Amino acid sequence: MSGGPGNDTIVAPATAPGRSAIAVVRIDGADAVSIVEALAKREFEPRRATHTVLGDGDASIDDAVVVVYRAPSSYTGNDLVEISLHGSAYLVGQLLGAVRRRGARLADPGEFTERAVLNGKLDLVQAESIVDLVDARTGLQARLSLRNLTGELSRAGESMRASLLDMISRLEAALDFADEGYEFIGHDEAETALETLLKEVRGTAATWARGHAIQTGLTAVILGLPNAGKSTLLNFLCGTERAIVTPLPGTTRDLLRETVDLGGLPVTFVDTAGLRETGDAIEEIGVGRARDAAAGADLILYLIDATRGMTDDDRMEIARLRDPIVIFTKGDLAPGGEDAISVLSGSGLERLLGRLDEEVRARFAMAEEAPTVVNERQRAAFEACAEALEAALASVGGGAGEEIIVVDLRRAANALGSLTGAISTDDVLREIFGRFCIGK
Amino acid sequence: MPDHPSYDVVVIGGGHAGAEAARVAARGGRRVALVTMQREAIGRMSCNPAIGGLAKGHLVKEIDALGGLMAEATDAAGIQFKVLNRSKGPAVQGPRAQCDRDLYAAAVQRLLAAEPLVAVIESIVSRVDFSAGAVTGVALADGSRIEARAVIVTTGTFLRALMHSGETKTVGGRFGEASAEGLSDSLRVAGLSLGRLKTGTPPRILATSVEYSRMEVAPGDAVPRPFSILTDRIELRQVSCWTTYTGAEAHDVIRRNLHRSPMFSGQIKATGPRYCPSIEDKVVRFADKERHLVFVEPEGLEHPWLYLNGVSTSLPPDVQDAVVRSMPGFENAEIARYGYAVEYDFVNPQQLEPSLQARGVEGLFLAGQINGTSGYEEAAAQGLLAGINALQFLRGAEPLVLGRERAYAGVMIDDLVTLGTEEPYRMFTSRAEYRLLLGCDSVYERLTMLARSLGIVDDERLRRVEARLERTAAARLQLEESELTPDRETLAWLEPLGLSITGPTTISRLVARPEFEIDSFFSHCASSGRFSGVAAAFDGLSSEEKEGVVNHARYAGYIEKQEREARSVRDDETLRIPAEFRFERPGLSAEVVEKLRRVQPASLGQAARIPGVTPAAVAVLRMSLRYEQRSANGPGRGAANLP
Repeated sequence: MSGGPGNDTIVAPATAPGRSAIAVVRIDGADAVSIVEALAKREFEPRRATHTVLGDGDASIDDAVVVVYRAPSSYTGNDLVEISLHGSAYLVGQLLGAVRRRGARLADPGEFTERAVLNGKLDLVQAESIVDLVDARTGLQARLSLRNLTGELSRAGESMRASLLDMISRLEAALDFADEGYEFIGHDEAETALETLLKEVRGTAATWARGHAIQTGLTAVILGLPNAGKSTLLNFLCGTERAIVTPLPGTTRDLLRETVDLGGLPVTFVDTAGLRETGDAIEEIGVGRARDAAAGADLILYLIDATRGMTDDDRMEIARLRDPIVIFTKGDLAPGGEDAISVLSGSGLERLLGRLDEEVRARFAMAEEAPTVVNERQRAAFEACAEALEAALASVGGGAGEEIIVVDLRRAANALGSLTGAISTDDVLREIFGRFCIGK
Repeated sequence: MPDHPSYDVVVIGGGHAGAEAARVAARGGRRVALVTMQREAIGRMSCNPAIGGLAKGHLVKEIDALGGLMAEATDAAGIQFKVLNRSKGPAVQGPRAQCDRDLYAAAVQRLLAAEPLVAVIESIVSRVDFSAGAVTGVALADGSRIEARAVIVTTGTFLRALMHSGETKTVGGRFGEASAEGLSDSLRVAGLSLGRLKTGTPPRILATSVEYSRMEVAPGDAVPRPFSILTDRIELRQVSCWTTYTGAEAHDVIRRNLHRSPMFSGQIKATGPRYCPSIEDKVVRFADKERHLVFVEPEGLEHPWLYLNGVSTSLPPDVQDAVVRSMPGFENAEIARYGYAVEYDFVNPQQLEPSLQARGVEGLFLAGQINGTSGYEEAAAQGLLAGINALQFLRGAEPLVLGRERAYAGVMIDDLVTLGTEEPYRMFTSRAEYRLLLGCDSVYERLTMLARSLGIVDDERLRRVEARLERTAAARLQLEESELTPDRETLAWLEPLGLSITGPTTISRLVARPEFEIDSFFSHCASSGRFSGVAAAFDGLSSEEKEGVVNHARYAGYIEKQEREARSVRDDETLRIPAEFRFERPGLSAEVVEKLRRVQPASLGQAARIPGVTPAAVAVLRMSLRYEQRSANGPGRGAANLP
């Protein structure tokens, strides 16, 4: 048998290329099971991991573990086979070749998940969450993506859309039955309802700050005068000798980056050249880069050598920065430096980490229970909705007719509709599946 | 009986749908047989003597722009013209005309008589004949046959029609007229399933028996505005209507006699129109309302009767007498004809294609009340489109399907074939999501050139439309190009108008402001000699055209928004669902599949509008259609490479 569209047989590696302990290859579609049975020269019980030898004619390919899923109880909803073999690019290539010679074709990016949507296994937002989930680098990322996988954000969008549609129908009734003496929605009631809704939509759009931070992480730039201990702190934070540390001022010239998990978020710390006027052309470029990095940073740590105390230069620099976290260093050398940290003695480090953790949570955390926007497409939908609601509110305020207010309310409803794929769109599909790579 | 010569098109029924269908098919060069029970009943107004109203007025204007006849007939018979909903925005106002019912029917008959290709045959169609899934003609009651490749069924309320007045039942579709009994079976043979609907009409009152001084006068607009672009001015004498009301006494009588109303006794099982309820319905549903407004409308300039708009009823005559005589002004009124309800067969329009052709039966078109609508205007617009599509069918050309962003008629037909209807469907402006694109003043821009390409617009209409579009375009351009700068002189000039500007501002922008008043602006221009170009461009415009230009400027920003929205969903309208597409697929629930199969949507956009087809289902359909397109083009084009 051979499958029609959406059920022809496709194959792709599901794990990243390169050496690894095992590699997983997926086969999906009408012939998936018969192909693996031909390669193994045996039958398989569904949903049981079975150790077997796979071969291509007389030549054997590898010892493998095969799991067969029968339609519709599989990820895609089709017959699906997952083969775990040793993680060699050569072996994977041999297996792909053997499967393709038996009629399967190489899957398109995202095609397994696309089939899952086609077969009603996932909705679009859930499919989108799969990419987010696979991309997750911290526990928080994974938790959020998982929540969207269960349809949380779609449901929130749908409920806002439902209240919009209710208001639209009441405004419409006021037009259709103008002469019949019933009031369907008062001016103040409409205004209040719209304001409430706008707040809710804006609130959801604003979760993007967190969602985005969760997806892409934060940048924390370490600044300070030369020899304030910036590189030492970076090395401590990332747990390796990442930066070269010398007693000589001006050792660090270029930006150095390291990412660590802080408050559930991936935070990239950036070590920078010490801030000073210098005649050294290379160092001068480094100082410029430090300032640029600070301009684009989510967090700024400003370090001060406690043995020198805060200088006029420090005051000047701090005044130019946005919300810097000021940290005194070299506490072991400074008399009375109990507020200062010392990487050498370890004093104050626990407190510093606690403080950074708190700062990250305070600045980027919202109630974790609220539905969270985790990608650009979702954010754009809520922003477009908010923009349309604002226009509608302006119309209401300006005493415009119902027929005009409704124009913007419909746009707002459509914007939310695009979230779940109800409205418009090949663009939505392109955006969602464009983020996939082969094998998902 | 000898058979008739063969025709290209047979139109069954001479009501508002049939008249439009017959004329447009003839205008397209086809020979048309219009079969009607009674020649003089062609164009008859079965119910209220008025054309137009909210959203319905839009339909009439669209009919005019497409070359139909309803607007012309209305102008020839109108005795009171009035734009309704004046307190609301221009897009939702609706022109309406009270008509002399005899003059109206005469006008329709005259317009049809002027078409040499229309032959009127007085008879009843007993059967439609089919062969191999296509229409071959019709058989008449006398046994004779007419051969034709296209048949348009516009039987209104006459299919297996039963009139109710209290406990009395009479077979017939309209007072004193017969019922069409055989045709329903033919429609069943064609595979169509039929349902029952109900509508009603109020009592008619002898005009001489009424005390007018006890009622409120309801005058029309001071200057009657014609519906048709072919009409320069309304020639008929204009008259007033009146208003009165039903009060506690009437409501008591109705409540006491509810068991005698066929609607409530269970004698009528069919569904009536929610938006045009009978008085007994209103008394029950709005029990706390102490009064219901009644419009008293003359049936004609010389006609001896008055029409009681708002008191449609099927209560027995003695109850009608009591209700009528309880109303101020009607204490001694004599009912000339009692109100009655009509029950009739209709075809659930989900069985039709967007061309109004019955699905699976080539050449069989249905239009008007048989499709479950209510109202002359709804019927006429469908008749016109069915006529046009019969033409297109005979020409072997693509049917004309008006998009929802193109015309109210398009909205209506899409609603009918997509949503079906369980009660008589009436047009509302709220049904049109792109309402601002569908103003009365833009009908000629939207539709006439389209109709012209189909060869159905007469030269005179075309000439007038072109001249009008030229005039209004010039005036629009003047508004957009004339700019004011906020210098001291200009600010002083604007002051008496209550206007002020802070930066360079076009007049078009100024017009969009709520405080702008066009007449005082132009008289100010004239007295001060400024903007003579704008004033000159406006001088040549009729008052209707002027309003159109001003409305366009007022709505400009919103029109743009709606155009963008319309464009964004147009992709879905053009994503065709192939006839062989199977809706049974694992991603769709059995319930959704059932709904899709019933409607057989032609495009993804239409599928998405079917109630119960969920967003998730639409996403699955969209992806399936794209996936299958891709597969048809060979594999290897990933989802990421969607068109």
